[in-house]
Amino acid sequence: MTKGKKKLRTSNSGQLLIVAALAIAILISSTTVYVYELSRETNSSNAASIADLILALKQNTRNTMISSLANVSNGGERAVLTANLNTLAQVVRSLTHFGTLVLDFATLNDSNYDSGIWLSWNTSDMGTSSTDANFTLRVYGEETTIAANYEINVTTKTTIAGFYVTLGGSEKLVNLTCSVFNEEKSALAKNITLLYQDSGSWVNVDSSNNLSVIDRGNGTYSISFTIQTTAAIIPVSAHTYDMRNIFVQANTTCSAA
Amino acid sequence: MYGLGWGSSRLKKADRGQIRIIEAFLAVLIIFSAFAVSADLTGSRSATKSESLASIGLHSLMKLDQDGRLGMYITDGDFTALREALDLILPAGICFNLTVYVTVYDEQMQRLNTDVITNGGFNSQEVAFVEYICASQSATLRCYVIHVNLGMAT
Repeated sequence: MTKGKKKLRTSNSGQLLIVAALAIAILISSTTVYVYELSRETNSSNAASIADLILALKQNTRNTMISSLANVSNGGERAVLTANLNTLAQVVRSLTHFGTLVLDFATLNDSNYDSGIWLSWNTSDMGTSSTDANFTLRVYGEETTIAANYEINVTTKTTIAGFYVTLGGSEKLVNLTCSVFNEEKSALAKNITLLYQDSGSWVNVDSSNNLSVIDRGNGTYSISFTIQTTAAIIPVSAHTYDMRNIFVQANTTCSAA
Repeated sequence: MYGLGWGSSRLKKADRGQIRIIEAFLAVLIIFSAFAVSADLTGSRSATKSESLASIGLHSLMKLDQDGRLGMYITDGDFTALREALDLILPAGICFNLTVYVTVYDEQMQRLNTDVITNGGFNSQEVAFVEYICASQSATLRCYVIHVNLGMAT
């Protein structure tokens, strides 16, 4: 009986050893899997950092385009856009935190855009100031090389429409509706200067014309002013600066209501 | 036969001793591997935390740069407004040190702020570094490079 127990204990201790080895093996492998998963999370956060970097550089490419359009729409040379983008590309190259960064660009040239710039201020009832370029950003990191292609378009558009009412004699009340858009979305204007044409010359509208501008808060402005003219058709021009200091001009002709 | 039986018993005792040594060795190995694994986990976790801190910093700068305010503050030399704006955007409990550089003569960088732009005592063990380019939206383009060190306030 005792001999049998001893024999059983001996065989049990062998089984116990196998079970213990198995438990340790499970423990080690589960720990390894956990550590591996955690390291994967760290790698994905590195990828997220590069994604953040690309987003930040995209933002600054946009800022550069806005700066260039503000310059060109205020009388600057079209070449300013290329010069500014070259300056940005040079600064991007100086960043070393994520590896080597290279920013290439191509300004748009088509029926509207010339060297990436489109200024259309003579179209009836609408004016457009726009810039467009394509970019390729390459990130040569220690482990990965990432290339991101994107297009940036910055556009300020303004529309104007109106009519006049004869108040008596040659005095006329002009009513206008002016709207401002940034990238096809309603945007606020920083300043709107109005002019009307009388006897072939453009005259500024000011407070002496009982000028009233009602800001609707959604990029639409209701404007009214009075003028003395015998003309049946009154050409009106709106010179607008948006909040980014981009200039745009729109013309319309007002007839009697 | 008797002598051999005594010898076998002695051998069993000696074997038991060896098993004890192996057991002890295994126990020490398990404990040390547990230490090693936990040390590795701590390192990974702090790296992740540092990454997220950098991400928070970068996103805060981007938010400030969205409407051109960041470039405007720097161009105007209004570093107090810049510090206050960044302090407002960053979550509570994050401290920062900020330095602004401007590129001159091709690739040389010149520091713009003479005083350190900071929101308080920077005494954190967990530090994240963010490098950010800021192009102004003004009609005359200016490009700045911003270096920010972020840490958890202690």
